[in-house]
Amino acid sequence: MRRFIRNPVRAPLALFFLPCLALAQHGQVDLKAPDSLKNPESVAAGAKLYATSCGGCHGPEGIGGRGPNLIKRLARNIPDGELFATLRNGLPGTDMPPTSLSDDDTWKLAGYLRSISGPANQAVVPGDPANGEAVFNKAGCAGCHAILGKGSRMGPDLSNIGANKPLAAIRDALVPSKTDPSKNYQLQGAEGVKVTMKDGSTLQGIARNRSNYSLQIVDQKGDLHLVSMDKVRELQVKEGSPMPADYGQRLSATDMRDLLAYLARQSVRSAK
Amino acid sequence: MKNLILTLLLASSLPIGTAAQVRYEDIVKGPGADWLTYAGNYEGWRYSPLKQITPQNAGSMTAQWTYHVPDSGGLRTNPIVYKGVMYVTNSNSMHAIDARTGRLIWRYDDPQATKKGVNRGSAISGDSVYFTTTDNYLVALDRQTGALLFHKKFGDVDKGTTSTSAPLVVKDKVLVGSAGGDSGMRGFIVALSAKTGEELWRTWTVPAKGEKGSETWSDLHEWGGAGTWLSGTFDPETNTLFWTTGNPWPDFAGGPRMGDNLYTSSVLALDLETGKLKWYFQFTPHDVHDWDAQSWPVLLEIQWNGKPRKVVVHANRNGFFYILDRQTGEYLKATPLTDNITWAKGIDDKGRPVLVPGKDPTPEGNWVCPSIKGATNWMGQSFNPGTGLLYVLTLEECGMFTLSTQKPVPMKNFAGGAATEPGGQVYLRAIDPKDGKRVWEYPVGNTSRTWSGTVSTATGVLFSGDDDGHLIALDAKTGRHLWHFNVGDSLTASPITYEVDGKQYVAVAAGTNVFAFGLFEPVPSMALPKMTTTK
Repeated sequence: MRRFIRNPVRAPLALFFLPCLALAQHGQVDLKAPDSLKNPESVAAGAKLYATSCGGCHGPEGIGGRGPNLIKRLARNIPDGELFATLRNGLPGTDMPPTSLSDDDTWKLAGYLRSISGPANQAVVPGDPANGEAVFNKAGCAGCHAILGKGSRMGPDLSNIGANKPLAAIRDALVPSKTDPSKNYQLQGAEGVKVTMKDGSTLQGIARNRSNYSLQIVDQKGDLHLVSMDKVRELQVKEGSPMPADYGQRLSATDMRDLLAYLARQSVRSAK
Repeated sequence: MKNLILTLLLASSLPIGTAAQVRYEDIVKGPGADWLTYAGNYEGWRYSPLKQITPQNAGSMTAQWTYHVPDSGGLRTNPIVYKGVMYVTNSNSMHAIDARTGRLIWRYDDPQATKKGVNRGSAISGDSVYFTTTDNYLVALDRQTGALLFHKKFGDVDKGTTSTSAPLVVKDKVLVGSAGGDSGMRGFIVALSAKTGEELWRTWTVPAKGEKGSETWSDLHEWGGAGTWLSGTFDPETNTLFWTTGNPWPDFAGGPRMGDNLYTSSVLALDLETGKLKWYFQFTPHDVHDWDAQSWPVLLEIQWNGKPRKVVVHANRNGFFYILDRQTGEYLKATPLTDNITWAKGIDDKGRPVLVPGKDPTPEGNWVCPSIKGATNWMGQSFNPGTGLLYVLTLEECGMFTLSTQKPVPMKNFAGGAATEPGGQVYLRAIDPKDGKRVWEYPVGNTSRTWSGTVSTATGVLFSGDDDGHLIALDAKTGRHLWHFNVGDSLTASPITYEVDGKQYVAVAAGTNVFAFGLFEPVPSMALPKMTTTK
């Protein structure tokens, strides 16, 4: 059933967008997404509109700049109609303005935002996945991560990374676009820790969980250790992510492209 | 702490190191500190040799921890415990929990699953834990980190099949059942490689046209049901699997499927290596009350006519308790499990029910005992070798069964009629498995909401749940009340017991949480460790 709303300012999106679109006021909006939303030509047209209208604030790939990271925000399953309405009407009280784009162009823009915030395995990712797999092993990724049992089990498993994450999020993990202090506070389950026990022995690895009273830690061999904190003398927690931040310098552009192509294809429900 | 991750040094062993592997022999041995398979041991006993909790001290049990399972409701999961880690499942997800503290270690989700439904638990072998998604994928995960090892499809939702049961691992095979028999599907049991997930064999529980047994169907056998939605049991001596099957479809309309409808509402004995049927026994031929046979077969050795005899005992939803020869499937005896049975006068000397005429569903409705829920259900039975008793949660309830005259259409939620569950008295009953005689019973409520099974221990403590949301402890010999605790929700899964660091726990999933209990111990004050942050 089609629904019509006027000026729908929704809280979840209220802080997501900054001014990138020209001011305009439109009347009622048909909030049913057109069938062409995922059409490649439509998405390509949306990409151009994004570059000229939105990229200045939200970054050329949508991962944030002056404005918020759209990849993360749009991963929250915001309905198509709500996305359209926010583009159309802007967010009063913020720097995010309404747009003067036609309905058709606004939907193209919405379609592009959907394409970059959806799972990487649904995006067209250029590159040589076979070389990407070689890079994955050569560059040390497999020293911490595993794909279908190959590699180290210490870090997050990447067997389904292409189905779970947008391409931009994978790229951001490999080549951090900027130093975001908040990243240091979002490491629950992935903190690098060193434990010194009261008997003097030590243990290092990734804390999958910890509290004042117990610690669950995986060492580099992938072995799990359950620790009672009453037996611990000192707990050292590494600041920031254990993930190296210099792959942008270590890998050639070709290798980085191919690694992304390989990771984007990791989906357990796709044919191997 | 430079190069922390790349220069890890493990300088000492810690209080709990988990490096080890679960071997077939460990599961054969049965529970000790760990709980390694759905029913505790392959024989389906749900019995633990742990002795810390006794009838004398059970009254001092207290809650030890609670783990909330996000996005859950009516949890059916039976926890598995190995080396201090507990594995619980929800729809399309598995959670590994520190079994001492209830803290999450890792969680695996499959958000791409196309169906959502109940899940009864996991299995463990080697370094892998296994569970199934509702849309029929077997998922193997590294037991320590949750890393995905494989993800293999074994059934087709487009043919009405879903998956709800805990897998059973035996040697190099993962045995998985099928669900969906209430709206048309063809049941099966499939053996998949524990290493790769590749299919090794598949045994259909409804014969194909022309195969032996297909003559027991007038029609519809390609959608005939016989789901296998509960884990089976296994006899290591004879390498035989025992698996029960579900109802025929349409559940209440027998007209379109005249005949006995093999192998629905039966127990099947299958060769582990090939899946070949060794024997079968059908408890309810041509079932029209959706009783099916989903309560796992318990493997025992009893005295029979003065001699030891290996048997399969089974408390069935149709109201009777059965004793069968384990080698041949020969019917030995059946006794009433509940007081109210109106559809059959008894069981004849071949094991076939002696029907009371006129008890099939009708368009107007027919009042029949037991109700659709059955005299018992998938919560199953437990056996304590110390008391020699079998413990069964039973329901004294009757219901109205009505018949639809619509034409059956598979996969449209058409059951061929309907049935009421007006409520009834639930009893936890202790049965002598040698003769089926009732030794004691304990009333556990009259709203018939509980779906909690039982577990018992070497000290003679029996744990179960009641209709009012209490986990209860009884004296296994007498049925005397020892302890209870209100978990604040309906109990929809069976308790287990395990031990970590010398402490015995009893755990149960209820509603949206997993609870663990143990004997009260004062918590000593502890000094928090020094904590530092490094670059």
